[in-house]
Order: sequence, then structure tokens, then C-alpha cells
Amino acid sequence: MGAVTMWVVGIIVLPLLAFAVSVLFLGVSRKVTARIQRRYGPPLYQPVIDVVKLLAQQENVSHGVVFDAGVVLALGGSIATVLFIPVGGLHPLATGGDLLVVLYLMLLAPLGLALAAGAAENPNASIGVSRKLILALGYEVPFLLALLAVMVHSETTSLAEIARSQQASVLGWGLFRVPLSALAVCLVLPAMLGLRPFDMATAPQEIASGPLVEFGGKYLALAALQGALHSYIVIALFVDVFLGGGANVLTFLAKVFAVFLAGLLVNAVYPRVRIDQALRFCWKWPALLALLGLVVVMVAGR
Amino acid sequence: MQIAILLAIVLLAPLAVYLAGRLRSGARNALAVLVAMVPVVWLALLYGRTAQVDYYRLPFLDLTLSLRLNALGWFFAMAVAAIGLLSILFSVGYMKGKERLNFYYAAMLLVNGSMLGIVLSGDLISLYVFWEIMSWSTYLVISYRGGRAVAAGLKYMVMSIVGSCAMLLAIVSLLVRCGTLEIEALAGAMQGASPGYALFILLMFVIGFGIKNAILPLHTWLPDAHSEAVSPFSAVLSGILVRMGMYGFILIMYGVLGLGLLRRLGSGVVSFGYIFAWIGALTIVIPTFTALLQDDSKRLLAWHGIGQGGYMIVGIAVATPLGIAGGIFHTLNHCIYIALLFLVAGAIEHRTNGERDLNQLGGLAKRMPITFVGGLAGICGLIGVPLTNGFVSKWLIYKTLIAEGYPFLAFAALMGTWGTILSVYKFQHNIFLGQLPERYKHVKEVPFVMQLPILLLTAAILVFGIFPGIPLGAISAIQRSFGLEALQVGAFSVPREVGELNTIIILAAVAGGCLIPYVLFRLCRRSRSLPQTDTYGAGSYAPADRYQYSARFYGRAYEVIEPYVRDRVDAFYCWLVEKSEGGFEAVRHIYTGNVNTYALYILLCLAAVILAGLGWGL
Repeated sequence: MGAVTMWVVGIIVLPLLAFAVSVLFLGVSRKVTARIQRRYGPPLYQPVIDVVKLLAQQENVSHGVVFDAGVVLALGGSIATVLFIPVGGLHPLATGGDLLVVLYLMLLAPLGLALAAGAAENPNASIGVSRKLILALGYEVPFLLALLAVMVHSETTSLAEIARSQQASVLGWGLFRVPLSALAVCLVLPAMLGLRPFDMATAPQEIASGPLVEFGGKYLALAALQGALHSYIVIALFVDVFLGGGANVLTFLAKVFAVFLAGLLVNAVYPRVRIDQALRFCWKWPALLALLGLVVVMVAGR
Repeated sequence: MQIAILLAIVLLAPLAVYLAGRLRSGARNALAVLVAMVPVVWLALLYGRTAQVDYYRLPFLDLTLSLRLNALGWFFAMAVAAIGLLSILFSVGYMKGKERLNFYYAAMLLVNGSMLGIVLSGDLISLYVFWEIMSWSTYLVISYRGGRAVAAGLKYMVMSIVGSCAMLLAIVSLLVRCGTLEIEALAGAMQGASPGYALFILLMFVIGFGIKNAILPLHTWLPDAHSEAVSPFSAVLSGILVRMGMYGFILIMYGVLGLGLLRRLGSGVVSFGYIFAWIGALTIVIPTFTALLQDDSKRLLAWHGIGQGGYMIVGIAVATPLGIAGGIFHTLNHCIYIALLFLVAGAIEHRTNGERDLNQLGGLAKRMPITFVGGLAGICGLIGVPLTNGFVSKWLIYKTLIAEGYPFLAFAALMGTWGTILSVYKFQHNIFLGQLPERYKHVKEVPFVMQLPILLLTAAILVFGIFPGIPLGAISAIQRSFGLEALQVGAFSVPREVGELNTIIILAAVAGGCLIPYVLFRLCRRSRSLPQTDTYGAGSYAPADRYQYSARFYGRAYEVIEPYVRDRVDAFYCWLVEKSEGGFEAVRHIYTGNVNTYALYILLCLAAVILAGLGWGL
């Protein structure tokens, strides 16, 4: 009975927690960025007001079925992904999928967004999608190499196992056991989160927010929630794989928050680079570090 | 006996269809569909049965030619029959009004019949004969369109002949050594063979089957042949005909040599399995990134056909129960989604006057919704998005590579997937999304007879993605029939000790996840519909039909990738052909075609022989 209760609690709590944290992220990011730029900034709950206002908007415009379905799939895919990522001890769908499944479930959201973006004839949307995909091709090289190092090191592909195996002490964290891989992922983390200097896919001043350009009203609300959830998913994955997961939900969230703050600081001070510069960067230093990390793990494992 | 009758029917069908076409074209189409349906139904009824039947005795070699049905043969035969039927069905709409249709249908059916012959052969002579029939009839269909297609067909033919020669060498050698060519008997006779001899046999077959399966560096015929063939045949070609190579690999590696002998071929990193797996890994990465640079819709898919073949090779080369199951399953999955994508590309060609250039198309999703859905399912399968069939087979392959300690092979496989994502999204986006050119404003959806194969294949992608246990059950039977350890799976999950994968949980999560935004979406006010052209331009509007903004979709990435993926292999072969043509020209000075010169040669030769004989005598 206890197991079943835990399972049900997990299924319900995980998405709620993810929503709460990611909306908080949005508020914090505006506030922190404002403070760095010596502005006062909006209140922390401003994103809640924004989303509610967008959802309640009198007029919504659509470009057809693909446009509607794409947005729903984007947010739905993100919620589904959240269920497969362990948070502290909560991991209801541990038997349903491992790290490989999570990696591929993470494709559903961008796929949905890209389909919705393509439903209208807007060059900005297409350019944004193209940039997002090129950037992903860039950061996936170091990211996959680093994850492979972790999976080989801990001899499992199960995310729950990987998180659990790091909880003995701080020195058991992936950050210290596979330091080169962790460093490589740190370098590409801004790209994965779409933060500056790698925010070219949604560059507001340049291509009018790229894939989001046609969204308004409820579409923009759902897309904004999806974007926030995406940040949460990437950071949660990073914490589970490299920062020891969490003994309980609170320590887990504290780590997630710390990583997010670090990302914000980078975002606030860097200018945007071009997409080809980003691709070359990702394939150069982070990839080299990750490759080295994997070689070290292989040699040490022998 | 049943399989002999079945094979007789499918091999006589081309003639019947050709003759029917002389009478009436409607009768020909109906008959073609009907005879393509026969093997599908018949084979479905034969599921799980095994049979062996001798049909001829070669008196001079003292050999019996036989047909047999086993788990592996059934699996491939079913795929051949199903793809054959769907492509014939699609042809009925696609080929309407084209010329030389009697020839076309007869050749298509002959290709299908010969492939069934290959997978139902019980001995290597039959296999070789059917293999040659397949090669020649394929040439006929590839070059059907004339022009560039003839050159593509010739390239295919030359490479096929090289492969056949290698195969024939191995077959003759086996006959001399073992005295039999029956596959069952060979498996027993080869158990005592030395690793060196086994390696020789294996290499010859790898060349023979590898050319068909387009492994690096034997792949160069494929992009030309696939893009120049008519689309329904491209589906057969890439979906299943190329995979006859996979059938051959599995048959020789596990049906004849066996796992025990394979394990003795070298050790560690210089073993056959490891090197073969690396060939597979290179076959994944290089062609996939080449596909990324293609602008021709069918050429792009053709390069993916090569690249996905790499996954299958890696799977069967690693030789774990998981890897073999993954490799065979991926063969089936690839057959489904690549056939679907070629049919989609064909449907687009059909409605846009043969347009294949991805830089000229766009925005067709609303005009051709069924084709759009088919394309979407196809690319998701090809990428391996969860809940499509490609995901499960790729998962099995990734998992086995990581578990067996081959992270670099796993990296090649995972990176191949990322190259795939980029290039097939370009396929989908540049055809169906974004701006609709003025000249395609009135394009209509393809007729039902062309929609039907697209819908059936789409359904297959989802069904096998959600219930992978159905095909994996047939695959475990193959593994058991070769005496290998079988991968035991439930309807939608792998066993706990293998890993964590349960498609029904994933389905529930995605469905539940989508329900939340859907409810939110419906609770909000309904949206007003806008035309595709009514967009926000941030003050600078794109004038309609003045430029194509999806051209060179990943332009900046091409600049980075392009220098690394030039096809030097093809250039090398072309250089070889050029040089050998020079050599043949030189030979022509001797073979003048003049009878007097030949008479002179004969005389000189006789004189030399006599002189030599005299010298010997002394």
C-alpha cells in the first residue's frame, strides 16, 4: 500500500513541483537580471500574472491544426519528461524508462514547437528553428560524450541508479568522479538552456523571438510554461547526473536553484555569439574535454 | 510443398501481368495488386511453421536444390511481401498515364518474386540464382526512366557484379571443401573449420552482401540508384531490397558459421565482430552527415538508407542477444519508415510535376494533410522518437553498446541520430511547413489508392512502437532457431535485468502530459483562424513569393560540416573506372575485331605451344 501511495504522490507531485519551480525561475531570472543591470525589476510573482493574463486573453489567433497541436505536444512532452526524472526520492516511473528514454523524450517538446512555428509563413520562425537545431547538434556532441562517460563509469543507464550511486558523500558526486565530463557539460549548459551567449535561437531583437514569433494569448502562455519547464528539466538532469541528485526533495531543489542562478549570471553579462561560432565552440573545447573524460573513464575502468 | 507453390506463383506472376496488360490496363493493375497480395496472406498463415522441400537435382554436381521456410526466412519474406504489395498499390496511382507500364509492373513483380526466392532458398546455389535474378531485374526497374537513370543503373550493375563474383568464389570454395551447399548441412560442416578459412568465407560474403547493403566503402551505387528510380520502387529498393544484404549477413554469420566460430575470429579489438561493428559505426556517421547536406528529397533519404544500415550492422556485429535482436528489429523498422518516406516523397513528386528539390517546396501541410502525417510519422520513426518503432530498436542497440563497454560505438550511434534529426526535419519542414509557393496554391491531396499505403505504414510505425513485443516475438524465434540466446520481451517492456523500457508507461506519460495542456487549451477562448500568410514581421515583411527562406536551411552548419564529408570513395571509384577504361582501350589494340589478326594470334600461340613442348621434350 505504501508503495502505491508513494507512486500516486510522485505522479501528482512531480509535475506540480516542476511547474512551481519553473515559474519561480522565470520570476527570479527577471529580478536577478534587473539587479545586475541596476534596475529594480518586477515582483517575483510577475510571471504568474503574465501567464494568467495570457490565458484569459479575449482574442487568440491560430494558423491551423498543426499550430494548435504543436503547442500542446510541446508542453505535454515536457510534462511527460518531468515524470521520468528522479527528484530526491521521488521517481514514480523508474521502470518505464532510463536515461536514454529521457534523452529521446526531450525531443518531443522541440518537435512540437518547431511544428507549430512552421505552421505559419514566418521567416523568423524558420530561422529560429534552424538555429535551434544547429545549436543542438553542437552541444549534443559534448553532452552525449559526457553522459556516456557517466553511464560507463556507473555501469548502468538507469537514471535512478546513477543518482543513488552518488549519494554516499560529496566526493561521490559525478562532478568529482568524472570531472572532465562535468566541466564539459558546464560549458555547454548555457547553450542547452538557451541562455546568452547562446540565445540565438530565440534572439528577441534579431528574429523577433524566432519560433515563438507567431504565438500570442494562450499559445504564448503554453509556450512560456514549456520554456520554463525545459530549463527545469535540463538542470534537474544535470543535478541528478553530476551533483549527486538529492537525499530529499529540498536538497535537490536547492541544487537546481544554485545551478540556475549560476546560469543567470552568465546570461546577464555575455553578449550573443553567431550560430556558426557557437557550433565551432561546442565542437572544440567542450567536446575535447568530454572526449578526454570518456577516455579517462575507459582507461581507469580497465 | 506450400512454399514451392507460392514461389512458383510469384515467379509466374510477372508474365501473367505482362500478358494481361496487353489486353487491358485495368485488368493488369487489378491482377498485379492481387498477385502481390497472395504472398502476404499465404505467409501470414504460415507463421511459426518450418518446412524444407527439394525441388531439383543438379546431376553434374550431385547437389540437391531446395527451398526452406524457417523463422529468419519467414520474417524477411513477410517484409518483402508487405512492402511489395504496398508499393504496387501506390504504383497504381503514381504510375497512371506513364508509358511502358506492362514492363514496369512485370519487372516490379519479378523483383519481389526473386527476393522471396532468396529468403526461401534452402541452399546457396538457389540463393545465388535468385540473387542474380534480383540484381538484373532491379537494374531493369532502376533504368526504367531512361536518361540519368540508365547511368545510375549501370553503376549499380557493375558493383553488383563485383559482389556476385566474391559471393560465387566463396560458394565454390565451400562446395569443394564441404561437398554440400545445403545451408543446414553447411552449418554442421563448418564447425570444424579453421578460423582462417572461416574468415575468408566471411569476407567474401561480406563483400557480396555488403555491396547490396551499402556498407562503407561499398555504398556509392546507392544514392544515384535510389534517387533516379521511380518512387514506389525506391521504397522497395531502400526498404527491403538493400536489406537482402542484412539477410545474407545474418544467414552467414549465425546460420552457417555460428556464434562459436565467430567468437574465435580474433580477440579484443582485432576481432571480426569489433572491426565489423566499427565499419557499421562509420556507415552510420558519414552517410548521415552527408544526408544533412542534400537538397534532393530522395537523395537525402537514400543517404539515410545507408546510414541506418550501419545501426543494423553494429547490432548484429556486437552479437549479444540484445544487439542481434536490435539489429534485426531495426531492419524491419527501417523497412517500414523508409518505404513510407519514399512514398511521401513520391506523393509530393506526383502533385508538383516531379519536384524533388527541397529548396523549391514548402507549406504543403494544409494542401496534403495525409501525406504530411505520413511524413511526420516517417521522420519520427527514422529519428527514433519514443512511441515510434525506430525508438525501440535503436534503444536496444544503444543499450547493448553501453552495457558491453563500447561507449565510442554508442557515441557514433547517438551522434548519427542527431545528424538524422537535423536532416529529416529539413525534409519535413521544407516540404510541408513554412511558406507555400504561389505555384502550389492549388495542389490537391493524392488519390486514395496512394493514401492507403501511407496510412498503413504510419499505423505500422505506431503499433510496433507501442507494442514492440509483437515483432520481437518473431525475432526471438529467429534467435532460438540459430541456437542463440533469445531476448525475452513482454508485449511492451524489456525484462528488468536488461534495462528500463516500457512503452506503455511512456505512452501513458505522454498522453497524460498532453492532456493537461489540452484541457487548458480548451478552457481558454477559442481561437480565430488566420491564413498562413498573415504573420508578424516586426516591421519588415517578407514579400510573398519573392524569395525562398528555407533554402540552405542549415547554411551556417554546412560551412562547418561540408569539408569533412566529401565523398572521396565515389571519386576514387570513378578514377578507377577512368583508368581502367584507358587500360581497356589499350587492350582493344590487340583485340582489333579483325578475323585475320585473330587467326594470326592462334597460329602464333600454337607455334609457341609447340616450341615449348619441344623444349620440354628435350
